[in-house]
Amino acid sequence: MTELQDTARRLLDEGEVKVVIGWEEGRRGVRPVFVTSAADCDRLVFDTRCVHNLATFLNPRRSQVASLGKAALVVKGCDAKAVAGLLREAQIERDGVVLIGVRCGGVVGSPVAPDAPALTAETVASRCFACDVREPGLVDVLVGDAQPEPPGSGTLDERIAALDALGPDERFAFWTNELSRCTQCYACRQACPLCYCERCIVEKTEPQWIETSPHPRGNFAWHLTRAQHLAGRCVGCGECERACPVGIPLALINRKLQQVVLELYDYTVSDDPAVPAPIGAYATDDTQDFIK
Amino acid sequence: MSDTKKKKSASSKAATPVTDAAVAGTASTADGSVVAAQVADASEPLALGEARFLTSEALGWLVEGLAAAGTPAVAPAWAGDAGRAAGGVGDAPETEYRVVSGAAELALGERLPRLSLKQFFLPPTEVLFSYKRNGADIELTPAQAARDTVVLGARPCDVAALPIVDKVMNWDYADELWNARRAATTVFSLSCKVEDDSCFCSAVFLGPAALKGSDGRLTPVDGGYLVEAFTDKGAAFVAAHADAFADLPDASANSAQAEQFRAAARERVAGNLQVDHGRLRDWLDHHFDDPFWASLGPRCNGCGVCASVCPTCHCFDIVDEPESVGSGVRRRNWDTCQTCVFTLHASGHNPRGDQNARYRQRIEHKFLAYPLKFGDVLCTGCGRCSRACPTGQDMAEILTAIDARAAEDAS
Amino acid sequence: MTVTQQTQSDSPAPQAASIYQPDLVVVESIVDETPDTRTFRLRFKDEAKAASFEFRAGQFGEYSVFGAGESTFCIASPPTRKGYIECTVKAAGKVTGQLREVDVGDVLGFRGPYGNVFPVDDWKGKNMVFIAGGIGLAPVRCVIWNVLDLRDQYGDVTIVYGARSVSDLVYKRELEEWAARADVKLVTTVDPGGETPDWTGEVGYVTPVVEKTAPSPDNAVAVLCGPPIVVKLTLPVLERLGFADDAIFTTLENRMKCGVGKCGRCNIGSVYVCKDGPVFTAAQIATLPQEF
Repeated sequence: MTELQDTARRLLDEGEVKVVIGWEEGRRGVRPVFVTSAADCDRLVFDTRCVHNLATFLNPRRSQVASLGKAALVVKGCDAKAVAGLLREAQIERDGVVLIGVRCGGVVGSPVAPDAPALTAETVASRCFACDVREPGLVDVLVGDAQPEPPGSGTLDERIAALDALGPDERFAFWTNELSRCTQCYACRQACPLCYCERCIVEKTEPQWIETSPHPRGNFAWHLTRAQHLAGRCVGCGECERACPVGIPLALINRKLQQVVLELYDYTVSDDPAVPAPIGAYATDDTQDFIK
Repeated sequence: MSDTKKKKSASSKAATPVTDAAVAGTASTADGSVVAAQVADASEPLALGEARFLTSEALGWLVEGLAAAGTPAVAPAWAGDAGRAAGGVGDAPETEYRVVSGAAELALGERLPRLSLKQFFLPPTEVLFSYKRNGADIELTPAQAARDTVVLGARPCDVAALPIVDKVMNWDYADELWNARRAATTVFSLSCKVEDDSCFCSAVFLGPAALKGSDGRLTPVDGGYLVEAFTDKGAAFVAAHADAFADLPDASANSAQAEQFRAAARERVAGNLQVDHGRLRDWLDHHFDDPFWASLGPRCNGCGVCASVCPTCHCFDIVDEPESVGSGVRRRNWDTCQTCVFTLHASGHNPRGDQNARYRQRIEHKFLAYPLKFGDVLCTGCGRCSRACPTGQDMAEILTAIDARAAEDAS
Repeated sequence: MTVTQQTQSDSPAPQAASIYQPDLVVVESIVDETPDTRTFRLRFKDEAKAASFEFRAGQFGEYSVFGAGESTFCIASPPTRKGYIECTVKAAGKVTGQLREVDVGDVLGFRGPYGNVFPVDDWKGKNMVFIAGGIGLAPVRCVIWNVLDLRDQYGDVTIVYGARSVSDLVYKRELEEWAARADVKLVTTVDPGGETPDWTGEVGYVTPVVEKTAPSPDNAVAVLCGPPIVVKLTLPVLERLGFADDAIFTTLENRMKCGVGKCGRCNIGSVYVCKDGPVFTAAQIATLPQEF
């Protein structure tokens, strides 16, 4: 990916940024890298294993990243939406980060593979379904070859439809079973670019709004609250689910709320920070049929 | 370790039995010279009595029988969940340690279970006691006792974690809740074929057939498992369920096959990592402010998945939980030093204020502080932290990097 | 089935209390020391426990407000006085905030005594220099009374104590008692701006007042406790005055939960504050990583 490496090298050489946050080849596959010297730009790669949403590293609370200095961030289309979210919600300044967009045709579900796997309907990540962003918006520079559309795979929406077809008791039993494995480790929160709160609601103790104990009551409270807090903001990157050590299908919850927000507010997350999210704006002709 | 005192003659290929500890108990330096490292368990016990044979079918009956009798049997099992929706993490179906009741659930020797055995001794949440107000007075009711439980076919890296954590749990004050579960549980490990190159049990004084913490061990042979008991508890279990166990069809061939399985596994894992623990500890003790930590902190999400999946991580939180007006429980819950609030004072002061400091704590606790205090490295080389980390932190890589710096310092 | 369900016993038989289960204590009296600080005098509810309970200066306990949680405070009363223990608490969070609502007669919990001790026996015959800032006087007060209760076994007693303002001084009644004693030299100070018109003590931060008081290091031991900044700045002053670093004692605090060395929270490098501390000499502190 010489264009990406050259861009990074130029940005560092010219002193525009102090660090380029991208992906590198690790021992087990691809992983995030923080390149601070031009000589190390050769480490930067981009292929179908580049799953991680690097926007998480822009969280201003991550002082160990902020202390590296002004960053350039490599973003796919979905990642750019997360950066837009941070801008929309005034967590970062646009001129505080340089965005290097990569042309992306989809990624696989896991970054762990010795080589970049081919994209098929079976291997492609759910988030890439119906993704029409071949060139990320919002970016300062765009690199990479043009990519085809990702192979179609509607399994996420199919699974949601199957759950919706269940009665409430069966659906509740499904989620009770899935959430029973949760240990309230908060990896889902830490992996999420939009979960940037200095003090998460689950850390508030006076009163303890959400019980931190991983019993059914606590786990439902945690996941339902997090889903609500992300409604209209979640970009569907699936990092929460990938981070979960016990395989809870969190993507189903967040995708469902994306569908609900689309239905109620005709809104999907935009990579244009000027477009307000439903939670942060109103129009006088908003429907009021939720008031019964 | 195979029992040399067999009645039938061992095959001519069988050399002096090689223990995992003997292989793992030394650590090579970069120049190849062998440094006698601190070995927690240099000598492994001999098997008690004759090795027995457990067919795969009989294992299923055994499990069903235990379930019917109301004795929880914990074994590696196919994960009975809906599966990830956003895109897989690895191809093979996930497994977990779980109380099983039927043969069809069993997944011994399949993919490494996603969490360790820790959850059965230190549950993710556990009631310490309950409280109830009676007017101005309060009544406290202690936690429930442990149930007799059997673990069948756990990985040696998961089993070895138990006696390692025993040490902190009995440091001056005895943690009765942990100890009760330990006393009530009989653990049979399963000789491991080695998961992948993220494993490094042999680099932390263990190995794919290590006996540390095992009451007995299963080793795969044709048709089932060769079963050895190493403690009275293990022997008692075999005796109590004698119907499930048979004589070995061909003791000498079976033993040879078992030893071959173990030897091949040891060879497979040996190349994954080699570090000099003395040198490592020395470096950690003198490089608290080293810029190395700033190379690890940025990539870390501070999510603590590493601690969740780790067999030896044992940090916990204690919280009160009202359940009704005037009554409730006090619980302890899994916690991790990787979160930003772990050491946060009420005043707002945080001794470990960034991820560089928190990640350093993880490494220093496991490879310096715990060995200094208790004589054991707080790690069994299972590799879960490397596999589960969403941002690709790699424990073997980190230890290699530190050991290299330590070697440079020494030269 | 959740793990917790799997590992619980069906037996209704009562179990023995674990090390995590507190003893019950009754609040005998409360003194409001300052607007946000109270001293509680507690008596064990169980008479056998009350009669047999022993501790040594420097040790701490985990005090429960059932339903809110546990908090760590030193035992502020001296071991020379039997039949009760005291703790002095500043409202800062959930549990300490709840303690503001507690009344005489309420039942709390106590686990302890935990931690190491001030070697008061080794100090017999020595001159004692006590220095404290703010609520840091609480653990020092325990040693002061321990010494004063055995007055003829110790040499000179010098106390330098300061707080932000006159109203922030704790143990006001006892300060008057100490001031009135001929066998105690007491110097009190408040921060500049914290004095009242009728204040007759010093005005200045604790550190320069210690320097001005210039206690002699000859055959002396210094016991120092206060906010981190007070300790950090006063240690070099004591060293300049000639105190050896193994003749200066302090007590550290860190966030704690279990108090018995198991939950992994309070360590500073390889040292667990709850077990290897909380009492340390300046010599020992110099060997600790700067992580507190």
